[in-house]
Amino acid sequence: MKRIRFLSLALVAFLAGHGLPAARAVVTVGARDNIQLGGFFSQGYLYSSDNNFPTASKGGTWDFREMAVNVSTTLGSRVRVGGQVFAQTFGNLGDDKVILDWAVVDYNVAPALGFRAGRVKYPKGVYSEALDLDVVRPFVFLPGAVYSPVLRDFSASFDGAMVYGTLAAGAAGSVDYKAFRGDIPISPRKGVAEFYTNSGLYTAAGPAKLGMDSVTGAQLVWNTPVAGLKAAGAYSVFRNLSTDGPFAAAPVLRLPSNMDKFEWRTVSAEYTRGSWQFAAEWQRAYSDTLTYSAPPALPLVKDDSGWDGWYVSAARRLSDRFEVGAYYGNLKDRSTTLPGDNPRTYQHDTAISLRFDLNEHVLFKLEGHRIEGRYQTFNTPRIPNPAGAIRDTNHVIAAKTTLSF
Amino acid sequence: MKTLLTVVAFALAATGASAAPVLIGHKTVASEKLDAATLKAVFLGKKVAWDGAGRVVLAVLKGGPVADEFLQKTVEMNASTFNNHWRRLAMTGGGSAPKTFEKEDDLRKFVAETPGAVGFLDAAAADASVATLPLP
Repeated sequence: MKRIRFLSLALVAFLAGHGLPAARAVVTVGARDNIQLGGFFSQGYLYSSDNNFPTASKGGTWDFREMAVNVSTTLGSRVRVGGQVFAQTFGNLGDDKVILDWAVVDYNVAPALGFRAGRVKYPKGVYSEALDLDVVRPFVFLPGAVYSPVLRDFSASFDGAMVYGTLAAGAAGSVDYKAFRGDIPISPRKGVAEFYTNSGLYTAAGPAKLGMDSVTGAQLVWNTPVAGLKAAGAYSVFRNLSTDGPFAAAPVLRLPSNMDKFEWRTVSAEYTRGSWQFAAEWQRAYSDTLTYSAPPALPLVKDDSGWDGWYVSAARRLSDRFEVGAYYGNLKDRSTTLPGDNPRTYQHDTAISLRFDLNEHVLFKLEGHRIEGRYQTFNTPRIPNPAGAIRDTNHVIAAKTTLSF
Repeated sequence: MKTLLTVVAFALAATGASAAPVLIGHKTVASEKLDAATLKAVFLGKKVAWDGAGRVVLAVLKGGPVADEFLQKTVEMNASTFNNHWRRLAMTGGGSAPKTFEKEDDLRKFVAETPGAVGFLDAAAADASVATLPLP
């Protein structure tokens, strides 16, 4: 870990010292002939004052980095193939393990109709396909009310197929559509396991198995006649999202759980005007089909699970080098029986960010958060927050540098 | 007085000068029909193949007033927004990024030599090696 951190900082420092031209590039992705190569490498420092949130970061950690390399090419006029590998360390999650982030064969019949198959980025909000792209935003973290960084590996891509295109709507603008079906490979090592482990139903080791049958969904983006204004709606559903593992109250017993349907509904709007960009999104992630049991100790329980989240954000590019941004996010437990003013049921996140582009390849970001409430502040072996030590208010500072090429 | 007026007129012309971008393409692209919607689809990566000229190859200037004016006119984006649009596509499996150029001469040469290529530059930098296409 230390070696990787040293190498990453040395690489960024080396490139920073080479005085590359100011950030005016239209596209930074490298291209030679018909093969394109791109990627990024980021190293950050994450500090949280009171709670380990959003990951194990209380008192500060350097375990905060991401890296990716992609290559793509075209075959003939309409077929494109490509893929990207990705690795991250996010506190105790990720551990620099290299994964296949996306790998697609894309056949574009016409602007109105295209097909994509393989491991495909998952459209679930206007920024979900670009979760890892520091270079396209001033924020270190996208608003967690809709884009939980702990769920990154659960939200990034799916294995399956997609049909997509753009339909002209005359004076009303145009509509981009995507419809897809596949499944998301998940495992107990991924961040989504924290949600189950934190429930207290499983032993501290968490669920031993995690899986789903399928994910099916669609996204519509309306490019309105107003320049820079788009609105979007997305829906997707996981079928048979299931877990299994040792029951906390009696570890000799297994506790299988299943959600017949877990649904994601997202409504988004984005407005870009000059150097300003505004965005707002609302998302409901919810299932009322949760069942679990650990016979004979625990008979079948029918329950619900999920949350509502929304945020508003604004960003402004001040110059070629500087950009600022701020957002407010609100996340609310939808399945709790606790009163609404209980800090365990909500998370209010106010963030402010500053971005500095040293040149077209290297950027730096500094971001501060004030988080009120402790919903989705986990207490698990990988993100420990013992009951006696957890606070209702937490401050997070994130500093990050990213090299992209 | 006449000299003074000439100087003032020259100065005003210089300060008020705006970029005059033109659309250029490889000779194979000259017969393509390019209305505003098609041109927008081309530069946003939604139309990836010409009707009769093979694969679309985009060539864009890295920045400057010509790029700003052309992009604003064709895709209603400034260079920064256009930049981010293509970064999102290229880094997420959604498209092949444009070839970028610092110098107009290099862009023109690339377009002239690359079947299916289309790009933009200042009108003064266009020549007979490329097809100058009407901007819708």
